[in-house]
Amino acid sequence: MMQLLERVLSFAGLWWLLAEGHRDGWLLGGVAVVAATWSSVKLWPPRAYRVRLTALPGFLAFFVVNSVRGGLQVAAMALRGRRALTPGLIDLALILPDGAPQILLTYTLGLMPGTVGVELADGRLRVHALDVRLPVAAEARALELRIAALFGVGA
Amino acid sequence: MIDAIGTLLPIVGALFYAAGTLGLLRFPDVYSRLHALAKADNLGLGCVLLGLALQAEDLAVSLKLLLIWPLALAASSAVSYAIARRAAHLGVKPWRRDSP
Repeated sequence: MMQLLERVLSFAGLWWLLAEGHRDGWLLGGVAVVAATWSSVKLWPPRAYRVRLTALPGFLAFFVVNSVRGGLQVAAMALRGRRALTPGLIDLALILPDGAPQILLTYTLGLMPGTVGVELADGRLRVHALDVRLPVAAEARALELRIAALFGVGA
Repeated sequence: MIDAIGTLLPIVGALFYAAGTLGLLRFPDVYSRLHALAKADNLGLGCVLLGLALQAEDLAVSLKLLLIWPLALAASSAVSYAIARRAAHLGVKPWRRDSP
């Protein structure tokens, strides 16, 4: 029940932002909030994984720092062209449980330096690395630990 | 000071877009091109949005601009994964340094 209320309040907050604080659109906004809450309960049942708000700032800081690194690195490689690349596929054995944590890992790795997810199956993630000589596995493990803390799961 | 940063950031963002496009044109295969698009363009978008948010006149507009970033990130990282996975299933081999 608390979780449902949290979702209603966050979607209402989102609507407030989208309407830029105007109050005359709340009839439509109410419909949108109900529809969004309903689909979120269908797609992500409240009892599955919960995000720990205390771990969120640490995760976001880690994410922003690394996506800036990732963007700078790939921009520098683009300037040098294909001779900057030593690409290849790397298989990672995941320690995160399947479901939301593994999916978040797959998606966020695509924004971290040098990796993009290719295939997630049976607790293993195959990634394409721009430079296989870089410590791809260690960086992915660091991200996994952040996500484990975010969801409060053992890893 | 804030005005200056608000003007500078969109320019920096445009440079990242240019680098992402350069990568799209110069990188050898679909997988490497996804790196260029996902990472450089998203950083470019982040810079542009942050710059515009600093220039915005009220808080709700700023927050709305900043909200676009995580939404675009979520969409582009999901789409990158979908494209890479489909390419792998179709048997597209990653370009390797030693291959001709």
